[in-house]
Amino acid sequence: MPIRSKNPNEAARSNDPPVLILTSLASGPKHGYALLQDIESFAGVTLGPGTLYGAIARLEERGLIEPLGASGRRRPYALTAAGATALEMTLAELRTIVEEGTARLARTPRPQAAMTERFA
Amino acid sequence: MSPERTSGLLLRLYPARWRARYGEELKALILDASEGRASWRLGIDVALGAVRERLRSAGIIGDLPPAERARGGILLVLAAWAPFVMAGVVVQKFSEHWQTATPPGSRTLATSAFDVLLSGAAVATALILAGVAVALPAAVRFLRSGGWREVRRHLVVAGALTVAAVPVSIMMVVWAHGLSAAQRNGQDAAYETAVVVWALVLALWLVAWTVVGVALGRRLALSTRALRYVSLLAVGVALSMAAMTAATALWWVALARSAPWFLAGEPAGSPGTSFAPALLLAAIVMVGAAGAAAIGASRALRGAPPAAPRP
Repeated sequence: MPIRSKNPNEAARSNDPPVLILTSLASGPKHGYALLQDIESFAGVTLGPGTLYGAIARLEERGLIEPLGASGRRRPYALTAAGATALEMTLAELRTIVEEGTARLARTPRPQAAMTERFA
Repeated sequence: MSPERTSGLLLRLYPARWRARYGEELKALILDASEGRASWRLGIDVALGAVRERLRSAGIIGDLPPAERARGGILLVLAAWAPFVMAGVVVQKFSEHWQTATPPGSRTLATSAFDVLLSGAAVATALILAGVAVALPAAVRFLRSGGWREVRRHLVVAGALTVAAVPVSIMMVVWAHGLSAAQRNGQDAAYETAVVVWALVLALWLVAWTVVGVALGRRLALSTRALRYVSLLAVGVALSMAAMTAATALWWVALARSAPWFLAGEPAGSPGTSFAPALLLAAIVMVGAAGAAAIGASRALRGAPPAAPRP
């Protein structure tokens, strides 16, 4: 099942909150605040609480994550098998783009460098 | 304000069902993330999240089955109709006696635009009543099967406002008959104040019944055929609203060219200005409501079940 529910045919972006949440949960269950801190540390993206919980609700609805027993008011979430598969698919899509982009850049002179050479 | 209190207020913006499931967790997260002081950026993020959840729960955004998408679209058109009517009443009040203030030879465009406005209002009202008639059997079934408990609070508020609105309206009509035209148009301060209160009661009455309509509409089990008919009626209402908005703009332009003194509230022949704050406010509300209705109609049309093939 693709991560994007609105348009499954559209490729996910690396900074989509659902992709960031699934990536964070890939290293183990986390509650909301731990997710925010982890996402900020590995992606440099600061998600707001409203954005985070909107994405958590959609991911849980689609069976990609599941809630674990609450500790006080905090409730940790874990990746499901479907969530792991969806994340793998998304990362494969992103990897294709990264590899293709890297290869094309390597084959073509950079526009800025070309301009610099022309006016040097 | 303490983060505890701020988070409590922000959570109240979310739909009750969503709050029951995620409320405590989100509150804990807001408290953790605010670190003693809730920032405005955090507040805006949570408030926007609440708006998204409300739109999603109403079926207006999100990935939903076609029938639910159609239902959300229909309810958006219904919800947009209430502010549109209020703006329409402002235009109606503003435009009173415009024909007598306009030179006879330059009324053609304004008259045509005004006729479209009045016809659009009649058509849209008829379409909404037709929609109510189509949904009525399902509403009766829902209420008789105990569903009234789910909408009781909304019905009580709407009923109470109806009880208040009827005697106030009768009183205002009787009072108006005893006044001269000048007194009715600004010379009697007590009457002017009462008109404002009356308008407020009627606006609340309209909003309350719209809320009842939306609350019922979200719960009704409509047949495929009924859903298709109501979706088409919603499209008709949205088209009427668009036509009325365009007609109002055209009428304004026509009057600005032929009788600007009427728009400024000045005696005939005065230079005047075509800027009228009340009309501008009404036009902004009409444009916003017509836009929302267009989005709703589009969702209703895309989600509406297709007609069954004839045998």
